[in-house]
Amino acid sequence: MRTQAGAPPSRRRFLALSAGGAAAGAAALSGCALQVAGAAPGGGERVTVMVKLDDISPELIQQAQKELGIGITVVQDDITRLIAMLTNGSPPDLVRGSGALDVPYFAARGVAENLDPYFARSTVLKVDDLDPANDLWRYDGRTQGKGPRYGMAKDFSQDAMFWYNSALFDKAGVDYPPDTEPITYDAWLENAKRLARRKNGQTTVYGGSYNGLGLGILFTNLTAAAGGSLFSADFSRVDFTKPEARKALTWYVDYAKARIGPSLVQPNPDGWDGPTYVANRMAMSGSGYWLGGMINAEPKLAEVSRLAPAPVFEGGPRLSSCQGATGMWMPKKARNKDAAWRVFEWFFGEGPAKARAEGGWGIPSLKSLQPLMPHKEDYQQRVIEVQKAELKHFSVTPFTPYIKWDALEALINQVIPAAMNGRISVDTLAGRLNSVVNEQMKRGKEQVG
Amino acid sequence: MTAEQIPEAVRRPRTAARPGTERTTSAGTTPTPNSIRTGASRSTDLPRGSMTVRRRRAFYMFTSPWIIGFALLTVGPMAYALWLSFTTFDGISPRWRYVGLGNYRELLSDPVTWDSLGRAGVFALTSVPLSIVAGLALAVLVNRPIKARGLFRTLLYLPAVVPPVGAGLIFKQLFNRDSGAANGVLHVFGIDALAWLDDPYARYVILMAVLWGAGNVMIISLAGLQDVPRELHEAARIDGASAWRTFRSITVPLLSPVLLFQVVTGMIASVQTIMPLLIAPVPTPAGVTAIPQTNYMYMMHVFAQYFAMGRYGYASALLWVLFVLILIVTGIVFKATSGVVFYNVDPEAKK
Repeated sequence: MRTQAGAPPSRRRFLALSAGGAAAGAAALSGCALQVAGAAPGGGERVTVMVKLDDISPELIQQAQKELGIGITVVQDDITRLIAMLTNGSPPDLVRGSGALDVPYFAARGVAENLDPYFARSTVLKVDDLDPANDLWRYDGRTQGKGPRYGMAKDFSQDAMFWYNSALFDKAGVDYPPDTEPITYDAWLENAKRLARRKNGQTTVYGGSYNGLGLGILFTNLTAAAGGSLFSADFSRVDFTKPEARKALTWYVDYAKARIGPSLVQPNPDGWDGPTYVANRMAMSGSGYWLGGMINAEPKLAEVSRLAPAPVFEGGPRLSSCQGATGMWMPKKARNKDAAWRVFEWFFGEGPAKARAEGGWGIPSLKSLQPLMPHKEDYQQRVIEVQKAELKHFSVTPFTPYIKWDALEALINQVIPAAMNGRISVDTLAGRLNSVVNEQMKRGKEQVG
Repeated sequence: MTAEQIPEAVRRPRTAARPGTERTTSAGTTPTPNSIRTGASRSTDLPRGSMTVRRRRAFYMFTSPWIIGFALLTVGPMAYALWLSFTTFDGISPRWRYVGLGNYRELLSDPVTWDSLGRAGVFALTSVPLSIVAGLALAVLVNRPIKARGLFRTLLYLPAVVPPVGAGLIFKQLFNRDSGAANGVLHVFGIDALAWLDDPYARYVILMAVLWGAGNVMIISLAGLQDVPRELHEAARIDGASAWRTFRSITVPLLSPVLLFQVVTGMIASVQTIMPLLIAPVPTPAGVTAIPQTNYMYMMHVFAQYFAMGRYGYASALLWVLFVLILIVTGIVFKATSGVVFYNVDPEAKK
C-alpha cells in the first residue's frame, strides 16, 4: 500500500469541509427542485396546488395542461406540510381551505393574498355572479363577511340541514319532518331515539348523526341557533356558560348520552356519515345539500332520501348556516401568482366548476352555475325545492381569528367525553371549556397582536 | 470480528508484508511485538505518523456519511427544537417571542402532560415485558428441531415486517365494533359485541398490536439462543438438571445481554409509539385528542401540541423532556442490571 505523507486533516477541518459540502449539495438539490417547480413540460408554467387528492384528479391536471398550458403539481392537503412550506418561504400557489373557519386565522396573520384586484380584472369570475356564501371568504381584520376577498368557495351547503331515509322512518313508524318548516332539536332527538336499532351490542341502524363539520363550528352555530353568540364581541374569548351556549352543550351532551348516533363516546367505525347512510344504516344525517352527491350515485337510496330544513331551538331564531364553504386561497408569498389565478379561474368558473355543479356535491358558488344542479328526477327536484326555500334563511356565523379550528376541536374533544360519560355536569364542562379554550385564544391574540 | 479487533487487523498485514522490517531494525535487533505497536521502529521504514494519518483518514472517510447524516438530520433538528422550546413559535404568526424556560415551567404544572406520561410509562411497563416474554417463548419454540422450522420462523417474523400503518389498518378492521372479526367470534359464542377501539378496551388492542409484532424480539432472541454453547446444555442434562432449570440457569444468563438490549430499545420504542393514532377513528391533528383517553399517551400529547394547537415551542419542550427522561431511565436500567447481565467478553475491555 502506498503511503502518503503530509499533515493530517484536523477533525475540525474535516467536519467543516463535510458540512460545507453537504450544504452545497443541499443548495444544488434545492435549486434543481425550484427549477422543476417553475416550468411545466413543453415550456409552460407550473403551479403547486395543495388540495385533497380527489379535488384535482390526474385527468383534471391533464385537462389544465391542455386548456391553459399550465402544469399543476398537486400536494396533499395537510396543515403540517402547509406550515412547513410557509415557514421555509416556498408555499403552494393555491391552498384548499374552509371559508367559514380558515379565513380569519390566515388573513389575520398576513399570509393570505388579497384577491380583490384579481376579481376586479377577471372576465370569468365576476363579483356580481358570486353567491353571497362566498362572503365567508371576506375578512376586514375584525369581522368575517366584510372586507377583502381572500378566496372563494368551490361550492357550499347549509350544513345544519339534515338528510333522512324515509324507508327507515316508515319502518319505525315515525312521521316525516316537514319539507319547509323546521322541527325543533328536541323533536329531532326524540325521532332519533325511535329510529335507532341495536342487536347483540352492535348498532344496526343509527337513529341520527348530528356532529356538524366539527364540534367547534357546531357549537358556534348551535349557540347562534339558541339566540346567542359563543364568542365575545371582539372574538378574543368564548363563553360556554352563557345560557344559549349552555343550551347548545346540554342538547349535544344529551344526544351523545342517548347513544343513538356517532359521537366521541360512540365513534362511527366508518369514520363519517357517508358510507353508513348509503348502507341504509343511518336514518338521519346532519349534513347539507352536498351529501346529495353521494346519495345521487345510488338511485334506490336517492328515491327514499329527503332533505329537511335546519332544526331550531324552541323559541330560538330560524337560522341555516354554512359551516364550510370549502374553496381555495392564495398565499401572499406564492411564486406564480398570475398562473395560479388562471388556474383559480378555471377551477372555480370553467370546466371543473360545471362538472361539480352537475354532480350535486354542493350548491355552486357562482349563481350562473346553479341551474346545472341535478334536477332531472322527481326526488332531485324535491330536494332542490327544499334547498331553495332554505336559502332564504341562509346565515353566516363569524369565526375567531385567535384560534385555529383544529385547536378548538382538539380542546373540546379532550374535555367533553367526561360529560358524555356522565362523570361531570354540563356546568362543569362549560367551565372547563372556557378555561382551556380561552387560554389558547389568549396565546393566539398575543401572536396576532 | 468485533469492533475492538479492527485496529489489530489493520496492523497485521503491515507487519506480515514487511518481514524484513519485522526482523531487522536500525539497531540491528529484532523488535518485540510491543515495540512495533508503540511505533518505536517506525521512523526507519515509514514517515513518522503516516500510519496514524492513514488510520484517521480511513476512519473519517468511512464514518463521514454517518457523521454528515447525524449532523444534518439529528443534531441540527434537535438543536433547532431546543431553540424552539424557548419560544412561543407557532409556525405562522409573526409575533412569537422568546420565553426562556417558560414552556418547561408550564409542562411541569400541566396535568395533561403528567397523565399522558403516566400512561406511556404504564404502557412501557406492560408492553416491553410482554413482548420480550412472547418473543423469547417463540424463539425457544422455533429453535427446537421441529419440521418446517424455517417456514415457522418466516411466518412468525412476517408481522414484524408489516409497516405500522398497515398494522394499524388491519387492527382497525379486525376490531371494528360493527363489522370486525373479533366481534364475529364473540357472536359465535353468544357474547354481545364489544367496542374494542373505545375505552376501556382500546388499551388492550394496542397491547395486542405490540404482541402481534413480537417476531422482532423473536428473531434477535433466536440469534442469541444459537450462540449458547451446546456443551453447557449437555453438561446440565448429564448433571440431571430439568429443562426449566437449564433454561433458567444457563440459557437466560447467556441471553441476558440480548435481553438487556431488547429492554432498552423496547422501552424507547414503546414510549414513542404512534399506534393509538393509527387505530383512531379520525387520525388527524384535530382528531388526535378524540382517541380513547387510555390511549392518550405522551407522543399523542406531543402530536396534538405541535399540529392541532400549533404550539411548536411547548411541543419541542415536551420532546426534550422525553429525551432526557429516556436517557435517565436507560442509565437506571444499565445500572440496575450491571450485576445480573453476563457478558462472554468484557464490552469495556478496550477502553
